[in-house]
Amino acid sequence: MESVDMNVTGSAAEGLAPSAGNPKKRVSKTERREHLVAFLFILPPIAGFLIFTALSVIFTVVYSFQDYNSLSNVSTFAGFENYIELFTSPTRWPLFRKAVVNTIVMLLSVPFGMILGLALAGLLRLGEIKGSKFFQVLYYIPSVSSAVALNIVWNYIFRSNGLFNTIFGLDVVWLDGSATLKAAIIFKNSLNSMGSAMILYLAGMLNVSPELYEASSLDGAGKLRQFFSITLPLISPVTFYLLITGLIGGLQSYADSQVFAGGNSGATTVVYFIWQQGIQGNNNQGLASAASVLLAVFIMLITLVQFKFSNKWVYEE
Amino acid sequence: MEKTMQAGGGSALRETIVGIVLRIFTYIILIIGAAFLVMPYLWMLLGSFKAPLDANALEFRFFPQEWIFTNYTDLFTSPNFPIVNAFFNTVLVEVSVIVVGTFVSAMAAFSFAKLKLPHKTFWLLFLMSGMMVPYAALMLPQFRVFQTIGMFDTLWPLILPGFFGNVSMLFFLVQYMRGIPNAYFEAARIDGAGHFTCFIRIMLPLVKTAIAAQVIFWFIGIWNDYFAPSIYLITPGRMTLQALLGSLNPSMNRQYLPMALAGAVLSSIPMFVIYLSCQKFFIESLAISGVKG
Repeated sequence: MESVDMNVTGSAAEGLAPSAGNPKKRVSKTERREHLVAFLFILPPIAGFLIFTALSVIFTVVYSFQDYNSLSNVSTFAGFENYIELFTSPTRWPLFRKAVVNTIVMLLSVPFGMILGLALAGLLRLGEIKGSKFFQVLYYIPSVSSAVALNIVWNYIFRSNGLFNTIFGLDVVWLDGSATLKAAIIFKNSLNSMGSAMILYLAGMLNVSPELYEASSLDGAGKLRQFFSITLPLISPVTFYLLITGLIGGLQSYADSQVFAGGNSGATTVVYFIWQQGIQGNNNQGLASAASVLLAVFIMLITLVQFKFSNKWVYEE
Repeated sequence: MEKTMQAGGGSALRETIVGIVLRIFTYIILIIGAAFLVMPYLWMLLGSFKAPLDANALEFRFFPQEWIFTNYTDLFTSPNFPIVNAFFNTVLVEVSVIVVGTFVSAMAAFSFAKLKLPHKTFWLLFLMSGMMVPYAALMLPQFRVFQTIGMFDTLWPLILPGFFGNVSMLFFLVQYMRGIPNAYFEAARIDGAGHFTCFIRIMLPLVKTAIAAQVIFWFIGIWNDYFAPSIYLITPGRMTLQALLGSLNPSMNRQYLPMALAGAVLSSIPMFVIYLSCQKFFIESLAISGVKG
């Protein structure tokens, strides 16, 4: 509707002299022309949003209430059947449950990476390390590396006779057992994410006013005490940001299951489950869509929490 | 710590000793961490020179038994793993998406930042709401449509969505463009320049560094993207680099391990070059993103 209106007023404005603005009207001709141009400029992203996001989401929801037969290309209304199947079917529920549990367990790498990053940032600040920039650059490298490349080499590292076991003198079969597989993934992901956490925490720490430390050391507070009662509360926005972005990213992890674990059921994630049901076999799109809807709702809730809280502390500043 | 506050001369000495010990401890931790981070890349490089039997041998060997280069040369000659094609496919996606998508995003950002438009905030929030929708919730309908219109196993599903811009780039540029004084455009408007001319001739040159920064992030994002390429591309000659690497998946096909590692090395080189030459910019942008949320 809006775009049609705009077009009509726009072409009318074009027919007349653009300078003939009528002061009695609330919106002058030149202004309307500007509205039209402004709208045309934002039209491509809006069209893209409508096609690739809005419509896709709507259809995912529609699919989740349908049974789709890929051979005959016919969809039939199925009500909540797909959702019920997801949680009760003797063949699908165990797969879905595993995927959910695996995804949640593997999210442990988020807090671990944050704790490592915080500890490193704290040490860098306390020790007033020269060459801190060098370590920041080095520690951030995994974040710009390809997840596939890293997963390929980490898979190699975690083999039974691999580098990891050799370095630590262990004899663990990492890649076969469900628990060890997830432990390996948590280890590598914590390591890969600690660099960006370290940099963000450092930036947060530099923003804390030095006067606060001076005042508290006059009161006799030690450095450790200062860290816990001044630094940590004041950089809580960074903690919050890292936690939320880490959770959102982690909930969508796929390459870990596909490349690192080679589809081993000990490390399938929800997105891997969706791919397996909806695309790989291409026969269970309704079920896959139902899982997608649940995942999307969950992620959107987390994002909304983030929006709400980030506004809160922006106002506080 | 509290004791150091009490006595005068002794405590100063003690504090320096504590400081030195702390610093040494920190360096040790940092170096251990660094070793852990360098290890995968080193291992990638070493493995890429091993023969398949050597890499998969039961006995652990750090260095290649025999340094061979066939893993690299095979990537350039094998029809099953044509890395040159993959490279050009990736570049094709990068260039088309970034050229068109950046122009579209910048133009929309200009409109949001500088032009009069009713319900502007609504439209911006409308676009931003898309950022919280996970790809998993979009991919099934898109997959079915792209399959139906014959774009499965082509680069189009990776290129087309990019033509409509990138919301995070758009949002960043809106904020940046708001900081450009209106006087620039008012003068040009009086001289009779249209809005499009103002955008092309005045705004774009003023924000080109901000755009370049965003382009670098987008470039790396597309380069490393794996999920969508792995879904849509099945013919080796049509794959992007990451899809090709994923198809070599050595956790399933052990004999491809050294070749996959060689591919990983080659596909990482451009990212390393970009990252190391713009390292300061990367670290600073990251730091800002966290502090501002």
